[in-house]
Amino acid sequence: MSTGSVEVVYRGIFQKTLAKNICRGIVFAAIKEGKIGIAFGRYSDSPERNGIPAKQFAVVSDTEEELQEYLSRYEPDNNDVTMVADDTLCKGVESWAWYGLQPINKLLAKDGTLLVTSTQSANKLIKTIHRKGSPYDLATIKAQASFSGLWVYKDDHTDVRLLGALAKVAPHIVSLDSVLEAIKDQWKDDKKVASAKKAHDETESTSVGAEQGSDAEPFSFDMPGYTKMEEGLVIRGIAAKGDIPGRDGGFVPGRNPTFKKYSTRTMRPVINFSTCTKCTLCWLNCPDTCFDITPDGFYEANMEACCGCGVCEAVCPVKECVTMVNEEAFEDNDSQWELWTKDKDGYSAWLAEKIANPPARSHGFHHIGQYAEEIANESS
Amino acid sequence: MPETTVESLGSFLETQVLDPWKGPKKVIPEEYYTSGHRTCQGCESAQLMRLMAKAGGPRSIILGATGCMYVANTTYYSTPWVVPWMHTQLGSTGSAATGTAAALTAMMRKGKMTKEPINVIAVCGDGGGVDMGLSAISAALQHLHYNLLILCYDNESYANTDIQVSGSSPYGANTTFTPPGKVHRIMHKRWKKNTAAMLAAGHPDVKYVGTVCTSYPVDAMNMVRKALSIGGPTFIHSLDPCPKGWDYDPKYSHELGELAVETGMWPLYEIERGKLKMLGRSQRIVNGQFKRKPVREYLMRQGRFAHFIDEDYDYVQKKTDEMWEKWLIPGVIPFFE
Amino acid sequence: MNPPSTALAEKIGGPGSGETEELISGSEAISHVCRLADVDVITAYPIRPYDTVMQYVSQMIANGDFDCEYIVAESEHSQFEIVKHASAVGARVFCGSSGVGWFYAFEALAVTAGLRLPMVAMVGNRALDDPGAFGVEHNDALAVRDLGWMLNWVETAQEALDTALIAYRVAEDPRVFLPCAISCDGAFLTHSQAIVKVPSQEMVDSFLPPYDRGDKQLHPDNPITIAPQANEDWLMEMRRQNDQAARRARGVIIEAYEDFNAKFGRDYEPFLERYMMDDAEVALVGMGTMGMPVKVAVRKMREQGKKVGFVRVRWFRPFPAVELQEALGGMQAVGVIDRDYSFGSSHHSGTLGTEVRSALYPLEKSPKVVTFIAGLGGREVTADNVVETTDMVFDAAEGKLNDQDTYWIGVRE
Repeated sequence: MSTGSVEVVYRGIFQKTLAKNICRGIVFAAIKEGKIGIAFGRYSDSPERNGIPAKQFAVVSDTEEELQEYLSRYEPDNNDVTMVADDTLCKGVESWAWYGLQPINKLLAKDGTLLVTSTQSANKLIKTIHRKGSPYDLATIKAQASFSGLWVYKDDHTDVRLLGALAKVAPHIVSLDSVLEAIKDQWKDDKKVASAKKAHDETESTSVGAEQGSDAEPFSFDMPGYTKMEEGLVIRGIAAKGDIPGRDGGFVPGRNPTFKKYSTRTMRPVINFSTCTKCTLCWLNCPDTCFDITPDGFYEANMEACCGCGVCEAVCPVKECVTMVNEEAFEDNDSQWELWTKDKDGYSAWLAEKIANPPARSHGFHHIGQYAEEIANESS
Repeated sequence: MPETTVESLGSFLETQVLDPWKGPKKVIPEEYYTSGHRTCQGCESAQLMRLMAKAGGPRSIILGATGCMYVANTTYYSTPWVVPWMHTQLGSTGSAATGTAAALTAMMRKGKMTKEPINVIAVCGDGGGVDMGLSAISAALQHLHYNLLILCYDNESYANTDIQVSGSSPYGANTTFTPPGKVHRIMHKRWKKNTAAMLAAGHPDVKYVGTVCTSYPVDAMNMVRKALSIGGPTFIHSLDPCPKGWDYDPKYSHELGELAVETGMWPLYEIERGKLKMLGRSQRIVNGQFKRKPVREYLMRQGRFAHFIDEDYDYVQKKTDEMWEKWLIPGVIPFFE
Repeated sequence: MNPPSTALAEKIGGPGSGETEELISGSEAISHVCRLADVDVITAYPIRPYDTVMQYVSQMIANGDFDCEYIVAESEHSQFEIVKHASAVGARVFCGSSGVGWFYAFEALAVTAGLRLPMVAMVGNRALDDPGAFGVEHNDALAVRDLGWMLNWVETAQEALDTALIAYRVAEDPRVFLPCAISCDGAFLTHSQAIVKVPSQEMVDSFLPPYDRGDKQLHPDNPITIAPQANEDWLMEMRRQNDQAARRARGVIIEAYEDFNAKFGRDYEPFLERYMMDDAEVALVGMGTMGMPVKVAVRKMREQGKKVGFVRVRWFRPFPAVELQEALGGMQAVGVIDRDYSFGSSHHSGTLGTEVRSALYPLEKSPKVVTFIAGLGGREVTADNVVETTDMVFDAAEGKLNDQDTYWIGVRE
């Protein structure tokens, strides 16, 4: 008698189909072993916003009775495995305001496994993951996060590779044989079966001790009760701001402290202030109002408000003045402009290093046929 | 007795004088819509909210109908609004604007509230504006004595509820209610409603109706400022590229808005006191100074049209050509001569 | 219908002239409240029979009897949404509807209570379509009974006027901030006129303070966000706040009646009207104009020595459970006459019957409750009908009639 639950954390819309394939695949595999199961998305994530952290779950049991406990839940909180479809989610996820920033391993059971899609080393990843009171294993499948939109699915086998890896780290939930059988049934594609097998064989785990990892305190909020909440469904608007604290001039918009949105970001803009012409376009076209106006008239993206859409890079008329860089290359949300004003040469070196290797990330649909091209490049 | 004119039927309240900003560098730094919203990466409707709030300034009241700019945008405990904002029902954009303007008018006239010009702006998506709310918006545009602006952020589907087709979705688009299938490739066969022109033609006393696109932010803000300054009920329809519902990389939001205009699928114009003026690229299209790009260049960039085959592109091209080559007023008013 | 006099102001009399008597309908009586309460925004949409109130209101505005923004909307949904938003800005508002018109506005009715926005609406009770009968049934107003609306039913044009004034005071009290609907039976109150005492402006001003939305007012000086979208993490707390407001309304209503009786020289009991109840052994319970034939019949039966009394429920929300327990607790049997239906409900009764039965259930010795349905679609309820009904209640008291069923009075078989 046993129950196993898997949490899949992914990027809204871009990875919705991917997460669905994984969770359904787990249940189909479980059925092969005479078990039963359910697959579901966290209801409050729907309708999803693209990029915003979202979750789906798969729960498998030997009996109906064991499964009942999960049949009317939004978010099982003691999961055997937490799958992470994009390693930048390891920095923590903020799905809604007042949730604060949830450590990626928050809902992972003691001695469970965090299974991450990443090209980073386990040791580098652990540094970005908040520490946890209990030990767990960290496993990775070597791949870039697979992003596609809702209407066209990028079938780069990430779904079956994660299923294969799951059979390796949690065989008590689904065995490799049943996973491979289920994949064959679902996709009728031997290549996908082979990918799953390969991922299974290559997956290795590192044990992470209690309290090992990033000791940053994730921000959080207290939720008031009905006697404290304002009546009439009223909340107070946020105050307009002004000067950059401690400096004359410039402008910093008031920003809502209860939803920062940066955990939506998978790439961030780095700005070359020495080539910036102060044309205003990045600031003017930012849907998230994330640019501060510095006292010397530059525009710098506030890394707590930026969700990494890339519009600023797209509208900037100066070559390599704004460059989107993979979020994994950064440890903090510090001000680029302050770094630059303190030490211009140091900043130039830092900038050069950051933009040296072009971002190996693509956020969804560009044109018909693009996913096929990308898959060809990735496999070559 | 003074003669009856549209002006004499208008509000006894002044409007704010909001002069146009000449170029991006003249745009004020203050933000009245800022972070705290959960909209998608590269959401142009969120960008429109920001531009609108900037353009209207601090003495404004914003009313938001159900839609993305409510559910994703204005979430309990994490509002992005610096100015007063209130939710209204999906079909009530026109009623919300009317009720708010009526209250200000009555209370200021009776001395129950300090008399001052306050902008009343009601926003709705295409579901709230083009579909369900059309009747109430039409009614609001008949109340010449109220100063109000109705701003429709059109992302061409019920993007919030899971991307279902609306009366403003383009022909053939893949939505969760009109998915391409084995037997029916095209499930959505309706042509996008010509909403702004319909409202302008149907309410000739309205002093300002315009279409905007967030890819041209300064123009969009100046049109909002003009609508608010000119007074009476006004309407602006904005095309907002939607990376979620249209399926494209968010960094292309700006570019796709430009393509919508450059292919002629989204004409830019304003009708000020009955006088029509084509704007920007659309004006140059009409003048023959700019050759419309093929609609393929726009459609092939979006996953929602990935199921299109030649005959679908050709049909959309033909209908778009008609708008510019056959319509009584190119891009605005149909009826073939 | 008599349109109001063009020289209304003089006729009513200037400051301090006290009450004047007018021959007016319940609708016209309420239109006087719109004038006396200096309502700021009124929205109308045509549907019989409530629309008579708007015909009087519009004539008064045309005559300059009072000043407000008067909007004829393009649907009931818009009609109620417009005043909802006006109320959020701090304007005193009035609205109304009937039958399916009230249902067309249903979404707006739900959010107005949910948003804690005060509003006074007149419901000219009318049968629901189909078929389109114009006569009275209470199902229209009763449909919002679970949403936070305060609901009352009046019997006379005078009571309509007085209750409308009380309704503004209660609805706009910051402890409550909830909408209130005054139900006037179609035809009997909306279309027939009686002598009504119309109070002076001074009397009204001494009783009804201005509406002050306080720090909930939607205004640039108070940049709040009203009704942002919430999920399961918040909704229960929000509902609980509305529950608290509905509970507080009780005390505020009692306060208002005490002050009103003192200032206007009336002797209303806040929630109920009791008629010949002192030594009654059985009681009839009903709402609205049905009280008239019932009182006639009660007097008739008293002459024959039958100890019957009548309790008319004025306020259905908040529901006067405590008062009903006290008034009916000692009865041998109670007969509840509904002018509405609740098909498939317990004992197949109407809505009032179900609520009275559940209110009496906790009593140590609760009386038998037998339920009746009468007067649907505006069919007259005659004194003879009431006598027939009362005899059945006596039978129930003696166990000679099944009190687990509901009996239709005045229906052809």
